[in-house]
Amino acid sequence: MRGFVFYLAIGLLAALAQTSFLPLFFPPGLRPDLLLVLVIYLGLSEHMLRAVLLVLLLGGIQDSFSGTSLGLYIFVYLAVLLQVRLLSEHLNVESPPLLLLLIAGGTLVQDLLLAFCLTIFADVGSVVHILLPSFPLHVFVNLVAAAIGLFFILRIRPLFGFRSGLAGLMYQSKRHGS
Amino acid sequence: MRELLSRYRYFLLAVVLLLSILLLYSYNLRQKSATTFFERAVLTLAAPFQTSFDHAVDAVNAVWQHYLWLVETKQRNIQLEKENRRLRSQLQQVAEVRLQNGRLRELLAFVDVLDRPALPAQVIGEDAGNWARTVTIDKGTRAGLRAGLPVVAAEGVVGRIIKSAPYSSRVLLVTDASSAVAALVQRTRTRGVVRGRGAELSLDYASRDADIQKGDLLVSSGMGGVFPKGLTLGHVVAAERDQFGLFQQVRVLPAADFTHLEEVLVIVGEDR
Repeated sequence: MRGFVFYLAIGLLAALAQTSFLPLFFPPGLRPDLLLVLVIYLGLSEHMLRAVLLVLLLGGIQDSFSGTSLGLYIFVYLAVLLQVRLLSEHLNVESPPLLLLLIAGGTLVQDLLLAFCLTIFADVGSVVHILLPSFPLHVFVNLVAAAIGLFFILRIRPLFGFRSGLAGLMYQSKRHGS
Repeated sequence: MRELLSRYRYFLLAVVLLLSILLLYSYNLRQKSATTFFERAVLTLAAPFQTSFDHAVDAVNAVWQHYLWLVETKQRNIQLEKENRRLRSQLQQVAEVRLQNGRLRELLAFVDVLDRPALPAQVIGEDAGNWARTVTIDKGTRAGLRAGLPVVAAEGVVGRIIKSAPYSSRVLLVTDASSAVAALVQRTRTRGVVRGRGAELSLDYASRDADIQKGDLLVSSGMGGVFPKGLTLGHVVAAERDQFGLFQQVRVLPAADFTHLEEVLVIVGEDR
């Protein structure tokens, strides 16, 4: 339960940073998706049921601060989480470069799903003109944010008694009974 | 059959969950002006943080500016007295207040021109995503705001309120891809619909034969019932005609500067 509240608080802080702090320094196309990075991290590290519940709430929070309708980001984040979980069974997620690759893939999936939902359901086809040109920059910014996050996580985790490195994302998780 | 269901139960659960959320999204799309309990709770919870953060940023900004100013002063006049410093730093504060006054005066003058009751509000947050263009303002249902009310700045149309919590509201900017405003080319009275395209706008459904030139001013037409007639939307930066097609492709630069949006006006009433 403590972990659940902790991740939820991190998600709220990330949403506040994205709405209040990052806009002071970065224009819209250059702001990292901190919540997407958190969703991918949850997909790799948390028990499935807890990850799904957290992602439903995080998606709702993102929807409350972005776009027009509740449900869009809940759907997108859940789809990203399920794909990360499916992929992670077959990959060595302890490798930091692979994690970064997952962030790039996650960003691609997110933008594709956003474009799909907004075009099919909301009839906002012109959003493609916003998403497509900014996509390379979007991936780059998310990768930089994730790399910075990884840099700090890799240094902070040993201080709290975890093994050094990224070991622990899948294999030390509660799902595997560490 | 049962074995099949049992084998693929997680997959089926995931599909059902995804479809349910798509249904929820689809349902919410039809209830655009309604603010759900969840959204209201999140906005209410976040509003104090966003307001405090906004104030903190202003304070840090002021200290930073004073500090820089003092360093500069120290380099130039190392023997300046404390009193002198205090007065000069106050001058800096006065300058900031004067700038804010200027902006508010512009807004007030605009209210007179507008001839409708309007409520000033402060922008306290921006959109959390990269594709949508919304901002959060520090007034909500307690101040009489509700979804659908138009929001303007001295330069022109900003957007309309889409979600309202007790102490904050979210405004859909005209530059958002899902935003559409009925518009007129002021010079020729050509009608069209201004849609958001991120940083720019486009004028859709402008007849191929219509006379639209670079620099033409676009104003709201008053159709649709959200924005009063005659509010500035932007200027035409390019108008192109394809070889085929019924309409022109018109690119429009918004009049309001969305990168420096600080104070806005919410139009709360009908014509006086």
